[in-house]
Amino acid sequence: MLLIHCPYCEETLPEVEFVHAGQAHIARPDLPSSQTDEEWEAYLFIRTNEKGIHAERWRHVHGCGRFFNALRHTVTDQFLTTYKAGEPRPELPVEGGDQK
Amino acid sequence: MSQFRVAGRGRINSGRRVRFTFDGKEYSGLEGDTIASALLANGVHLVGRSFKYHRPRGILSAGSEEPNAIVGTSRGAGRYEPNTRATVQEIWKGLTVTSQNKYPSLKFDIGAVNDAAYMLFSAGFYYKTFMWPKAFWHKVYEPFIRAAAGMGVSPSEPDPDTYASRYLHCDLLVVGSGPAGLAAARVGAEAGLRVVLVDENAEAGGTLLSEPQAQINGQQAWDWLAAELAGLKAKGVRIMTRTTAIGYYHQNMVGLCEKLTDHLDVLPKDMPRERLWRVRAKRVVLAQGALEKPLVFHGNDRPGVMLAGAAQTYLNRYGVKAGHRPVVLTSHDSAWYAAFDLEDAGAKVAAIADTRPAVRGDLIAEAGKRGIPVLLSHTATTTSGRLRISSITLAVVKDGKTGPETRYACDCLLMSGGWTPSLHLFSHTQGKLAWDENQNTFLPGFTQENCGIAGAGRGLWGIEAALADGLERGREAAAALGRSVDAAPVRVENDRTGTGVSHTELPTRRDAGKNKSFVDFQNDVTAKDLRLAVKEGMRSIEHVKRYTTNGMATDQGKLSNINGLNIAAEALGKEAPKVGLTTFRPPYTPTTFGTFCGYHRGSHFEVTRKTNIDSWAEENGAVFEPVGQWRRAWYFPKAGEDMDAAVLRECRATRAGVGIFDASTLGKIEVVGPDAAEFMNRMYTNPWTKLMPGRCRYGLLLGEDGHIRDDGVIGRMAQDRFHVTTTTGGAARVLNMMEDYLQTEWPDLQVWLTSTTEQWSTIALNGPDAAKLLAPLVEGVTLTEEAFPHMSCVECTVAGMPARLFRVSFTGEIGFEVNVPAYLGRALWDVLWEVGQPLGITAYGTETMHVLRAEKGYIIVGQDTDGTVTPGDAGLSWAVGTKKRDFVGMRGMARPDLVAPGRKQLVGLLTEDRSRLEEGAQIVFDPNQPIPMTMAGHVTSSYHSDAVGRPIALALVAGGHERMGETVYIPMPDRTIAAQITSTVFVDPENARLKI
Amino acid sequence: MTTTLSSRHPGVLATSPAVEVSLAEPRGRLSLRARGDLTPFARVLGFALPERIGQRAEEHDIRAIRLGPDEWTLNTPMAAVQRLLEAFAAIYPDHPHSLVDISGREVSLVIEGAQASDLLSIGCARDVEAIPAGEGRRTMFDGTTVVLWKDAADSYRLDIWNSFAPHVLDLLKTGCAELAAEARQA
Repeated sequence: MLLIHCPYCEETLPEVEFVHAGQAHIARPDLPSSQTDEEWEAYLFIRTNEKGIHAERWRHVHGCGRFFNALRHTVTDQFLTTYKAGEPRPELPVEGGDQK
Repeated sequence: MSQFRVAGRGRINSGRRVRFTFDGKEYSGLEGDTIASALLANGVHLVGRSFKYHRPRGILSAGSEEPNAIVGTSRGAGRYEPNTRATVQEIWKGLTVTSQNKYPSLKFDIGAVNDAAYMLFSAGFYYKTFMWPKAFWHKVYEPFIRAAAGMGVSPSEPDPDTYASRYLHCDLLVVGSGPAGLAAARVGAEAGLRVVLVDENAEAGGTLLSEPQAQINGQQAWDWLAAELAGLKAKGVRIMTRTTAIGYYHQNMVGLCEKLTDHLDVLPKDMPRERLWRVRAKRVVLAQGALEKPLVFHGNDRPGVMLAGAAQTYLNRYGVKAGHRPVVLTSHDSAWYAAFDLEDAGAKVAAIADTRPAVRGDLIAEAGKRGIPVLLSHTATTTSGRLRISSITLAVVKDGKTGPETRYACDCLLMSGGWTPSLHLFSHTQGKLAWDENQNTFLPGFTQENCGIAGAGRGLWGIEAALADGLERGREAAAALGRSVDAAPVRVENDRTGTGVSHTELPTRRDAGKNKSFVDFQNDVTAKDLRLAVKEGMRSIEHVKRYTTNGMATDQGKLSNINGLNIAAEALGKEAPKVGLTTFRPPYTPTTFGTFCGYHRGSHFEVTRKTNIDSWAEENGAVFEPVGQWRRAWYFPKAGEDMDAAVLRECRATRAGVGIFDASTLGKIEVVGPDAAEFMNRMYTNPWTKLMPGRCRYGLLLGEDGHIRDDGVIGRMAQDRFHVTTTTGGAARVLNMMEDYLQTEWPDLQVWLTSTTEQWSTIALNGPDAAKLLAPLVEGVTLTEEAFPHMSCVECTVAGMPARLFRVSFTGEIGFEVNVPAYLGRALWDVLWEVGQPLGITAYGTETMHVLRAEKGYIIVGQDTDGTVTPGDAGLSWAVGTKKRDFVGMRGMARPDLVAPGRKQLVGLLTEDRSRLEEGAQIVFDPNQPIPMTMAGHVTSSYHSDAVGRPIALALVAGGHERMGETVYIPMPDRTIAAQITSTVFVDPENARLKI
Repeated sequence: MTTTLSSRHPGVLATSPAVEVSLAEPRGRLSLRARGDLTPFARVLGFALPERIGQRAEEHDIRAIRLGPDEWTLNTPMAAVQRLLEAFAAIYPDHPHSLVDISGREVSLVIEGAQASDLLSIGCARDVEAIPAGEGRRTMFDGTTVVLWKDAADSYRLDIWNSFAPHVLDLLKTGCAELAAEARQA
């Protein structure tokens, strides 16, 4: 029931067109076989479970098909911004500030 | 005209007569009456019994907040609905109404002994009473609770009505069509916004319908209302009545339930009963008004006790007097007007008792003019009357002390404890409430939604104030959307403004510990219960609510929450805002399951996907099974055959001649681009670089955790083009996973993915005669071992149709899969069927497919694997390109627990007694160990095998690959079965049968 | 519920006083995926590919709609499919792309009439009225992914994968009956 802005379509659209795809900015190591067990465990399983502003991935699966990133407040469910895959996490003017 | 219907009053006096029955007795009302107004017009106040004490109850309100007048309604088979609010439901010709919570009759009820034994049923009754002895739980307590639980009787027949749903987008949604809502809608429309105005009542107008005395801009209120509504319609406002805003969800999505047919005598064909609207509004104005609070005193629940505002509504809107001799008990000015209206309509008001020591002079004067006795600083201490109130006992309160009591005879009591803004929808937005010291109530505060609150919903009182506030909220909404508009203020004369005070339980000279002063009428929660809950240690209002069930009835605390809070706060010795309100949750009013289901029931419950060959299966008597969203032919029984016989015949025919199978549901993905092979190398365990165009290979897909996710045969159609197949259920998942890697990890790769699952109809031909059947139909390739060996693929024509032909086998026999454009699938099947007749071609379904593949030890991902199985566990290490630099799951496969000894591995099982095992049955090594036994694995696949001559099974067994020949045990409820561990390949381990 | 829909049997499937649902004639359908310089593809097609997601372009009965940053669907006469496949194959070595024939994958339903938008509102969460005529969108209708072509304010086409089409049609039929009932009531 959320409205989500797709940064590729540049439209704000109903949630039913999207699927959630987990925490954002977890890059797959270039050569996983060089990873220690601890590093690989961290890549596979360790997630932040943020209370507050969370960077997460969505896919506009029933629209343009693109994966993209979003900053969403996990308490209010408000989307603060969305941005294309591969782009760095944007600085928010009020990040960490009063979210009510 | 009944003696309670007042000539010349109300909006429905010219309506036709409508007959209905209540508990078997026939009554008549007027078109437009609710059940409640029609019963009141007939002098009936007693309409139900309460839930816990089975106390007689009447009609308390005139709206959706009603806790007492809850009835069953019916219009015939399957159309019985329990727990309908009599104050909302309109009557229709032939309506059958029954009272609830009574046995054997409403007037004499056995359950009312609960009332006499009320000391037993105090707060936390269930928690305390059913604690011990433990042995009583099953035999005594649970049956008792089950019998007593629930209100009304559930309908037992399927619902013959249909339900609908729609999405609606607008600029401004206004909830509530009273003066504030009308004004907001007006401004929005004049600003050029797309405006939707909804109201749960049959008629728009809200308070205006109950206050005909008002003059708005010089016009009589109802005339002004009619003109205003016509004006709104002309400006394109969508006005929806009988439509309740049931929930306010994120980003201004509001759910509406529109009742379309419940008020009609005859149900129109194809018209849904109710429709759920999912409205997405840029701005919302909530103009839901306020709810009148009951006063809390001993005996405040008798039939005939009614909210004063409700009595005013019944009189002015329906032309019905609540009684001939009312007493009015109030702490707010508004109830005085109800007294005046009733007196003017011919009732004889016995007294107006106000709890306040001083009241506005004009009210006193108006009462005096009418000869109504006025009692200030008064409290009520008790009432009498078994099935209807017959008297109220009042006493003066002086210096905090209750003085001597006086009884006043009456036939109804009109009470008002002031008004509470309707906060429900606002609370759904997670909006913060702000305590208002003056009104002793919560008002809406901050919300993150684009939402304004207008009128009585934020504590304003009077029509003029509501209109002005509505205009302002409308202007605000328009401005937020970049529109500005001027709206002239509206003048109101004869406006009934007023103020009041708030109370907890009214003071009494009696023993408050024995008082039954109801707070939540439907759940029979008294002020005493709330105090007891606090005394017994409940500190949070949420705990008090659950311990007492206050506010948990179908009215969701509309009347009880604020009174409950004030009483609990007093008991806690805290200020009300420090205690806080419990959370209001959707839906605002009880909503049918039908409304939420909408169209999704019966055959439309969920998508059922069918292949283009499904029609042949249906025509030929297939039994179907669901596989994901697909329905697939399971087996094709001939006359007299059961499933086992049909599957045995299909298996035998395929191994002896040729079988034909619809494999169209297999997922298919076209992987195209210069980096196609590199992409395949990275996704699948297998190496792809050296696979020649025209050849195919079994592909295994893992997750990063090293566990098997999917598999399928993949053909290289050209250097840069792969035809990937996936499992039927895995198609969308695999494509999503591939897109994820491609878009986010390897965006530099020049390769693209296209779903072709539904582009192709796929027909599998298997058996020693498969090539013989197909060869004459194929142009472009010769079906010999040399020209087209096992694991080949080619683009050619089959029976003149463009095709992709694969030589693959999922049975161990010579096998082909012919892919043609989906719209040609049925045509090709018909040709093959025809041509195959001399060869005894046999159609087989998914069950035979399962048996034949199990005989060869071919796994089914998701059946023989469960998300924890590695290629090594499944005996598929041969499919892993260990020399590759990297692929998805390569690192995962090396995790310590995935290479540890004793993992569950896929093996074959043959039972010693030649019985067929149950899939899912647990396996142990030692059947004589004490219970609970140590499980060593489970059976994943099990079938009778015609080719082997006995049942076979596949199983995951700890260390299974090292246990060949050992005996394991499968304990079943009646016996323990011994089975020997074998290879997973039961038939033709040399693959000799694959050769043409 | 209808078993299967075949574009080889086009025609009217459902009606109400102000909207009609019909099955479109068979058309060629190609999924084109490419990025970078798009001019070579424009040369093959004879017109430039639309630039914004949701935009369309059309020449000589070949219609292109952009569905994603690197994705277009070409809707063509059946007879044009083979020619386009060959023409695109010819430029593949210099301009790698993906062109996949999906003519068999889907069917199209045409929804026309004054209440076309109302009918779509029973299953589409989008504000279809806000989509400009002459554009299109991939979206959801009743749980099914569809490509919606808006030809005019009162005329839409839905491209639907074969196996989902009967489900979609079933709801459209229910909706037509409902709109008809409302019209009788009014």
